[in-house]
Formats: sequence, C-alpha cells, structure tokens
Amino acid sequence: MSCHESVTSISGQTDFQIALAGNPNVGKSVIFNRLTGLSAVTANYPGKTVELNVGVAKVRNRRLAIVDLPGSYGLDPVSEDQHVAKEALLFDDFLAVAVVVDATNLERNLYQALQLIDLGLPVVIALNLVDCAARKGIAVDADQLARILGVPVIPTVAITGQGLKQLMDCIFATATASRTPSQRKRQYEYSYSGMIEGFRETLQSFGKLTNTGRLPHDFHSRLIEGDAELENALQSTSEGRRAVELARTLRVAIEIKEGQPAHLVFARERQRVAHEITEKVARPIKLREEAALLGRHYAVWPPTAIPLMLGVIIGTFAFMFFVGGFLSDLIGGVWGSFVSPILQLTAYSIFPNKILARMFLWGVDAGILAALSVGVPFVLTFYLVLAILEDTGYLGNIAYVTDSLMRKLGLHGRSIIPLIMGLGCNVPAIMATRVLTTRRERLLASTLITLTPCSARIAVVLGAVAFLVGWQYAVIVFLIDLAVIGFIGKALNLILPGESSGLIMEMFPFRIPSFRPILKKTWFRFKAFVFVALPFVTIGSAFLGGLYELGSFTAQAQVSGPAMYAVLGLPPVAGVALLLGILRKELTLQLLVALAVMQYGVSAHSLTVFMSPIQLFVFAVVVTLYFPCVATMSVLARELGWRSSGAIMVGTVAIAVVIGTIAFHVFGLLQLLQV
Amino acid sequence: MGEVTSEPVEMYLETVYRLKDARGSARTSTIAASLGVSLGAVTNTLASLESRGLVRRKAYRGVELTRRGEAVALRAIRKHRLAERLLTEVLGMKWSEVHEVACRLEHAINDDVTEALERLLNNPKTCPHGNPIPNSTGKVRQTNTESLNELSPSQKGILVSIGDEKSDLLRYLASLGLVPGVSVRLEEKAPFNGPIIVNVRGSRYALGQQVATRIRVRRT
Repeated sequence: MSCHESVTSISGQTDFQIALAGNPNVGKSVIFNRLTGLSAVTANYPGKTVELNVGVAKVRNRRLAIVDLPGSYGLDPVSEDQHVAKEALLFDDFLAVAVVVDATNLERNLYQALQLIDLGLPVVIALNLVDCAARKGIAVDADQLARILGVPVIPTVAITGQGLKQLMDCIFATATASRTPSQRKRQYEYSYSGMIEGFRETLQSFGKLTNTGRLPHDFHSRLIEGDAELENALQSTSEGRRAVELARTLRVAIEIKEGQPAHLVFARERQRVAHEITEKVARPIKLREEAALLGRHYAVWPPTAIPLMLGVIIGTFAFMFFVGGFLSDLIGGVWGSFVSPILQLTAYSIFPNKILARMFLWGVDAGILAALSVGVPFVLTFYLVLAILEDTGYLGNIAYVTDSLMRKLGLHGRSIIPLIMGLGCNVPAIMATRVLTTRRERLLASTLITLTPCSARIAVVLGAVAFLVGWQYAVIVFLIDLAVIGFIGKALNLILPGESSGLIMEMFPFRIPSFRPILKKTWFRFKAFVFVALPFVTIGSAFLGGLYELGSFTAQAQVSGPAMYAVLGLPPVAGVALLLGILRKELTLQLLVALAVMQYGVSAHSLTVFMSPIQLFVFAVVVTLYFPCVATMSVLARELGWRSSGAIMVGTVAIAVVIGTIAFHVFGLLQLLQV
Repeated sequence: MGEVTSEPVEMYLETVYRLKDARGSARTSTIAASLGVSLGAVTNTLASLESRGLVRRKAYRGVELTRRGEAVALRAIRKHRLAERLLTEVLGMKWSEVHEVACRLEHAINDDVTEALERLLNNPKTCPHGNPIPNSTGKVRQTNTESLNELSPSQKGILVSIGDEKSDLLRYLASLGLVPGVSVRLEEKAPFNGPIIVNVRGSRYALGQQVATRIRVRRT
C-alpha cells in the first residue's frame, strides 16, 4: 500500500535519523507534529505490524528523519508497540534520541531517561510541560539537571511551540557530533551502587567487542541486568558469547549478594538515583487543588462514575447522529446534484460498452458515494469525539469502571477502548488491540470487535428495522448483539488456555485538550479506514456491479434460495445479498432491492413490498453478526494470522445463522411482528 | 513423620496453597491452568484428595486445604524453596531458571536431607523470589504483610514483594516505580473485586485484581 512505506526507505532519503522517545501522555506526539509538520507518514517497522509515525524536518538545509517511537515506561515491554520501541532503541542507528520528559512528574520519567543514557545513546532531553509544572509550583532547574545527567536538557512547552527551535538545534548538534565519535568521556554526577558500577567496568575492560553498529556502544550494564534480545544479538561472535557468559556470572553474583533478581536491583538503584536527582533539581510538589482531587474521585466512584459514563456514551452517539446525519445528507445532496451527473456523462463517453460504463459507475459513483455518506460523516465524527475523550484523560476512567465486567470476558479494562473504537470501523479497532499484552487477549478482543456493529452495520439496522419496523425492534437487535458478545467472550475465556494478564494502566490527570493533537489523532485512525477499508469498498462495489449487470445473481439465488427460506425465513434473494454483503455491508439493503426488482419485476421497488417485518428483523440480526467484511478479514489476518482470522470468520457466520434461526422461530411462536 | 504422600498429591496440594496464598482462592480452572492439565483430571484428583481428607471443596469458593492437607503442602513448599536457594547459591543458577528445576528436585529430597540443607544454607528466611520458607514444624514465619487490595482507600503501605514469578510483569512494574521499598497509597477501590488505584510517587496507576493481589505491602 502506498501509504505504508518502511522506516528505512524514508530514512534513506534523509541525512540523519533520530528518534523521539518518552513515557505515554507527556506531549511526545505534539512535539513530533510540531517538528515535522505535514510531512509525517505512518510506516511499518520491518517485520512488525506496529505502525510508527515518521516525519522529516529540515534544519540548516539538512533533512532529518524523525521516528516517533510508541510511548513506553522503559526498556521492559509488555505489549507489541512497546516491544517495537525497545528494539528500535537497542538496535537502530539513531544519531540522536530525544527523550521527552514530563516536568510535572520528573521522578518517574527520569527512570526511562536514565536507562537510555546508561546505554550510551546520544540522548537529548526535552523537559516538557514546564508551564504546567510552574502552575503547580514546581520549578525544574534544567541546567543543573543537564550537569547531573551529562546530556543537554531543553525546557519546552510543546503546545505553544516554546523551546522547540532550541530543541531542534540541540538535536542537530548532537547528531552531528555522534557522526564523528570523539574519545572525550561524558561528564556526569550521579552514580549507582559500587557493585553495579564495578561490574560494569569489569565487563567493559574484559575485552574489546566488535561493535557491529547495530548495538548501542555501552550495553554492558544492560547485559548484566539481563536482556534476552541483547544476548541473542551478541551470539554471533565468540567475543560476544564470552561477554554474555561473563555478564551472567556477574548477574548471579549480584543476585546472591542482594537476595533479589538482578533486574530488581538495577530498577531500585535507578529509582533511587531518579529520586535523588528530582530532590536536587525540582522543588517538592504541592498538592493539587481540592476540586481536581474530588473530580478524579467522582470520575471513578461507581454511583457517579456509571451515570457519567452512560451520559458520555449517549452524548457521543447523539453527537454522531446529529452531526454525522447532517454531513451525510449534505454530502449525498452535493454528490447527487453535482458529481454524479458529471461522472455519468464521463462514463458513457469513455466506455463504448454500456455494461462497462455501468460497472464503472457502480464502483466510482455509487461506491465512493456510499463511503462518503457512511464512512466520512459517522466514522470521522466518532473518532473526533473519541480523540477528545482520550486527550482529556477521561477514557482511562471508562477502562477502570469496566474492568470487572471485562474480566469476566477474559480481558481487562484497557480492552474496552478498542471495542468502543469498533463502533466506528472494525479495521482501526483491531489495529488498536496492539496495546494489549498477550496474544490471547488480542485474539479475544479482536473476535469481540468483529461482532461489534460498525457504522455500516448500524446503518443497516437503522434502515431496515428502526425506520421500517420500529425503533424498539432496532434496540432489540442491538441487545441481541450485546448478549452474543457477552456470551462469546465468556465462552472463549473458558475454552482458550490461559487467563487475563490483568489491568495495569496509568491514570492520567484531567487536562484541557489542545486542538492539533486531536485532529492528528483523529486523522491517523480515520486513515486506516480510508486506506484499508475504502479500496475494498470501491473495488467490491465495481465487482458487484459487474455481476449485477451480467445477470449472474439470479442463478445463485435459485441455488441458495430454498435453504435461506427454510432456515432463516428470508426471501431467496437475501442469500445473494448477504453473500455479497461481505464486500459492502451498508449496501446490503440497496442490493436487496435491486435484486428483488430483477427477480420479481418493478413492483418490488421497496423492501416492505417483498419482506415482512419479521424478515427485516432477522435480516438485520444476521447482517450485524455474520462475517464482518473483507477489509476486516484482511486486517485480522495481518495481525493474527490466516488461521485465527479464518476461524473467527467461520465462527461469526455460524453464530449469525444460529441466532437468526432462533430469532425467526421465537418471533414466529410468539406471533410477534406478524402482519 | 507426617503423612506418606506421592509426588502428584504433593503437587496438587502445593498448587492449592500457592493459589490461595497469592490470590485468596484456588478454583478448579486456575489449578488446571497452573498445572497444565485438563479440567476433568483436576476434578477427579480433587475428588480423591477430598476422600482422603486432604482438601475440602466448596461451591463457588473453590478448594480449601484441611489441616492435614496444609501440613503436606507446607512440607513440599519448604523443600521447594530450600531447593531454589541451593540452586542459586551453591550451584550458581540463574534466579529466573530455578523454579522448574526445584519442582522436580523437591520430590527427591527426604526430611533428613531437608534439615541438612537448611543448616548448609545458614537457615535462610526466604526463597530467592522473596517468599518465606516454612520451618520444620510447618509454620510460616508470620510476616505482617497483606496484599495491596486489602488496604482501605487513603491508607498507605510499603511495598514488600511481588508474589509473581513471571519476570516480564515484574520488570514492567519496576519501570513504573513499583519496586520493593517504595511507599504506596491506595486511592480508590472499585466494588465487587474491581480494580484499585494506587499512588506511587505522584503517579496514579489502575491495577486489576490479578495484579493487586500479588503485590504484598506492609501497612504504615
């Protein structure tokens, strides 16, 4: 895909490659956006499905590739995105690593900075959020911090752009300097316990290791601490293997003396140093105002938190419904009166063959219109609201409140966020499961996402049931879906071996969000919809059009028809509509009408003519549950492999048939919705 | 001295004890998961252990050890944890590798060897992972620690140990500042065994029950 270049190919066109690292939620993305402007693209990291943002910045006529690494707390990852950050830091040749540090939470942030400095990486520290810190009565002495750490420290306020020019100059200077390695020793004023320092020197002096350039030049303490990936990388040479052996011996010595695993000893030492440095350079934190403290309590205290959460969810959908509906009408109107006529004129004048012309129109006219009138208005507004909720710090509260519920499904609170995203479009939602820890959790969450009604399926339920049968029946469709999600989650949790890794999540303080990062975030998620789902929609639409124009539907309807009627009570044409619906779910209704007209003649011009309310209901239930769509399947296969993807697809079809059949017979027995 | 038991029996009782110690309850499904055997096999074995008076099964509350069952479990755990010490200190094995080896070794050590081992290792109080070693009469040294989720909101404690042998989790928690010796304050506690929010040096973290029950703290 054209939007997915690899990191190396982008860097190849530039003079320098530098990385941006930091804890989550410290303003790293804002700095990245400010430095790279509109040049940023997402790129796939070699061999990984995690996308990284890569942008180009120009300094003094040189082009710098800036890689925005996923936010992480250190070099000990628990999820795939954090893994990518770690591997890039260990094995990529960055000429500078800018570590974004939150001045309001210096101690915790310094931990990661120390880990990277200890690796000998060319670190530059962006001391961000100094304005927030000042408001809380914390003044951080950047010069003193720089002296203690022995690396440059630039105070910044990313939102306003303050300090970013100096940061850029400093990154440039550091990158230039690390191209010509000097023998001058770094001066710094902190130290770990004698044992750690001593062992590191022992390992360093043990012999020269041929540094392939793929390793940071001071990996010795990390090797003693223990790092499987680093050990693997060193296995290729005999010196490397000997260094690994020696490091293991030193590690055991530390463990015996301290009676604790070595990585804990290192972690404690780093925490101690981070604490001492913070004491020296920052004035102690004043407690935040009572109001904010109370606010954060009521956001998670069930009697207030649950109504608040429901209110936020209902508000989100109301916003989507009104703003999205308005946009949808607007786009549909403009398209119908201006674009469509032009496209039709062009099509008939380009293609001599009428069938070809109509196929082209199916794809380009109807296909893009459907995408614009369903995708853009609803998916875009939804992701906009989601980004706002995320940047205010509220989303974490939903994760906290729903944790107990999600545990019953073998997941934990954090997985609610991808699931909510699935209401827009399943494709970016499945990509968002990368923040989860285990493959089991990703598999569970992805399966549940495919059962979550995306905007296309919501449109079908509204069109077929809410408008034609009654809104209360549309509510029943959604309740059935919710019950299925609950049941499948519970069942999979019992069947799949293992258990949930448990919730570990930082609760971010509430913040007033700023405009640009929200737009950027919305766009990055929406992009997955545009570039993954849209091509499928357009091509699928043209393909459907071709079949339709060639009249191959009738034959299929005759084959699948009787079975369709016997099991689900649906008219024969519904089978074909469902089959083709895997390409375009929101089109299933229009398809149904078009097919009916072909088979029964023009009298079947509306759904209500040839389908009873109960058939419409069952149809909507089946559309909601079965096979999400081809775009979702391809993204599932990319993330989890074809086997899991195939199993999920077959499973959803089976569930749809079973639930559809039950709905049909139960409604028949209860004599509900009979005309 | 004590009951004559076979290796599988000891393993089951030990697992029940560990699970109850770490999470407050031992359910059939978690026992199956941690022993890596099928649910059916666990149900059968538990039934036979119950008939021998070693465990009690309670509906919805999982499995509990009887006094005799607990004595067998503690004896096995004592051997296991001493074996771990032996492997790290005398044989110089890696801390993260000894658990599996000790699982096999513990069943080969008889009571006399156990006492000799304890003397050789200078009466260690804890295993290399920081968990207490029961003494020869089957008493666990009473540590005045409790699991993190037992604190009430706004109570403070010092983190003592993290009772989990999965080192990925340990390392991740360490990078968040959750290391032994750090002071933590419980801020929120969701009802129905929901997650908790702890404040560690000014940062707030939501921790699910699976994680919170494994963190031992000393109340301050």
